[in-house]
Amino acid sequence: MQQTEYADDYSFAELMAVVAAREIRDGEKVFIGIGLPMIAGFLAIHAHAPRAVLFFEGGYIGGRPPCACTDVGDSMLGFQAPYVTSLWRTFSDLQRGYCDLAIIGSAQVDRFGNVNSTAIFDGGVYQAPKIRLPGSGGANDMASSAGRVLIMARLERRRFVNQVNYVTSPGYIEGPGARERYGLRGGPAAVISDKAIFRFDEHTREMYLSNVYPGVDVQYVRSEVGWDIRVTQDMKAVDPPTKEEVRFIRSYDPTDVILRRRGIFSDIDFSSWATLTRSNWQKFIPQSKP
Amino acid sequence: MPSWQSRALTVAREDAMARDRKHREDKVMTLRDAVHEFVSDGHSLTFGGFCGRNSQAGAYEIVRQGKRDLRLIDDSPTDQVDILIGAGCVKNLEIAWQGVSIFALASNFRRAIEKGVPHTVEVEDYSNYAAGLRFLAGAMNVPFLPTRSLLGSDIPRYNRKIRIIDDPYGGKPVALVPAAHPDTTIIHVQRADVRGNAQIWGHLANDENKARAAKRTVITCEEIVPEEAIFRIPNMTAIPSYCVDAVVQVAYASHPWSCYGYYSHDVLFQRDYARSNETHEGFLEWLNKWVLSCEDHQHYCEMIGTERLAEIARMEQALNRIPI
Repeated sequence: MQQTEYADDYSFAELMAVVAAREIRDGEKVFIGIGLPMIAGFLAIHAHAPRAVLFFEGGYIGGRPPCACTDVGDSMLGFQAPYVTSLWRTFSDLQRGYCDLAIIGSAQVDRFGNVNSTAIFDGGVYQAPKIRLPGSGGANDMASSAGRVLIMARLERRRFVNQVNYVTSPGYIEGPGARERYGLRGGPAAVISDKAIFRFDEHTREMYLSNVYPGVDVQYVRSEVGWDIRVTQDMKAVDPPTKEEVRFIRSYDPTDVILRRRGIFSDIDFSSWATLTRSNWQKFIPQSKP
Repeated sequence: MPSWQSRALTVAREDAMARDRKHREDKVMTLRDAVHEFVSDGHSLTFGGFCGRNSQAGAYEIVRQGKRDLRLIDDSPTDQVDILIGAGCVKNLEIAWQGVSIFALASNFRRAIEKGVPHTVEVEDYSNYAAGLRFLAGAMNVPFLPTRSLLGSDIPRYNRKIRIIDDPYGGKPVALVPAAHPDTTIIHVQRADVRGNAQIWGHLANDENKARAAKRTVITCEEIVPEEAIFRIPNMTAIPSYCVDAVVQVAYASHPWSCYGYYSHDVLFQRDYARSNETHEGFLEWLNKWVLSCEDHQHYCEMIGTERLAEIARMEQALNRIPI
């Protein structure tokens, strides 16, 4: 068997996408939120889960766009799609239980995996908070009805809080038994940050530190979490991304619009953007039979 | 006469007028006339599309006509509604998500809610599925629909229109969301005939239901086609003429959003919008340049440039083509 070649030049944001991708198993139906989750989804299909089916809430299901899209209703998501439908139908399929996994973003996440993407009150009130965020979108629906949920969150003390001031998307709510009382299936499987992976204790439903990224100090991670978080006994660093994973991410997001790591997107002009985008498509469009 | 009887009479009169409008054989008009006739101050409004096939041109025209106190009922209306908020057209929002693509938080939305600039806007949060069910309930003419979303979250705690009940058939709790019947909807589609049989390619978002739930339905389309073209593929008619009040041909009406089979997303136009929008003054300059100074959508398209529009059309058609 060929030996895996790990990358040495990569960003934590790229590793975050890779780690999320690795949670996707082949053949799974995965409901995907805006941004990094989309990179994770298509990376999984490219790397190890060719039969995974990605759901996008506007109504595009199972498409294979030739580059990352900035939105979940982009026409490119219809490229090579086996099924295109409506928004309420897509969510009805989710609610019916067809989706094994969902990947959502977050502004804040708490000890029980509850997510806030509505408002940071910070002394203000719901109708006039300190920071108004975009709101649930489809995240509440994904968190309520997917088989497992991955929550993407940058590791910062203001984001990892003991208790969110507004639960936009339910995790384990108040703890053991709460989801069951509401009749909700699933629940958060992991919180994937840019420095470490967190998982949830089966009995207490509390988040614990599961794995750090290469070179990241456990004490540093704990200092960025707003409560005294438990650390797993057998702490291991996650594998770095492979060269192929990094190559895929960079060419699938050629204008750097999702990860914004390489400074391309902020200054690119229209014709360079169009040329770069189109020339990269060729790598991802299957050659049609003559 | 008891008030419920006079209300019922008004509703009956409005229904009869709507039936007459919707019966017309030719509903073609300009966008200016359609917005003038079908959008009034204080109306509730919803837009078609969802992060693609949006009704950008409709929103721009509403700003040009200076409509006020609009009540937006929508799923995730993005920048078309952010623009309306910044232009001072909006009184309240019943929505699930308000941002500008992945580029930025929606700055006008934030300024209105956090700081009352240009004025305060009230918001009522739903989830996208809940919003979708509100239009489905509206289209079915039932008062509400149940869902397993929203339970255990704070969305119902702050939005008292959402009710949690125990399943009357003995199951676990469900959340009820109220039907939506917006006064007007503006929906952009690829093709329609002059009576308003509207065909959609790509995602449908909530548009089949928005068209039926709303009291007045304005269809904008890339192309008006003869009815024979509709008859060839009747399954593609997502919105039948009997729910449509006006048909307006507006090419590139979704720009900068994508329109399946016609043009792809002009990502950089939106990047630049988000950047201008960092301050209210910057937004007003943007608005003046791209909306208020443009006579109509065609003028806006000329400002974007034919070569740029041709390029996003080529990009789209390299991937997605409408077969007929």
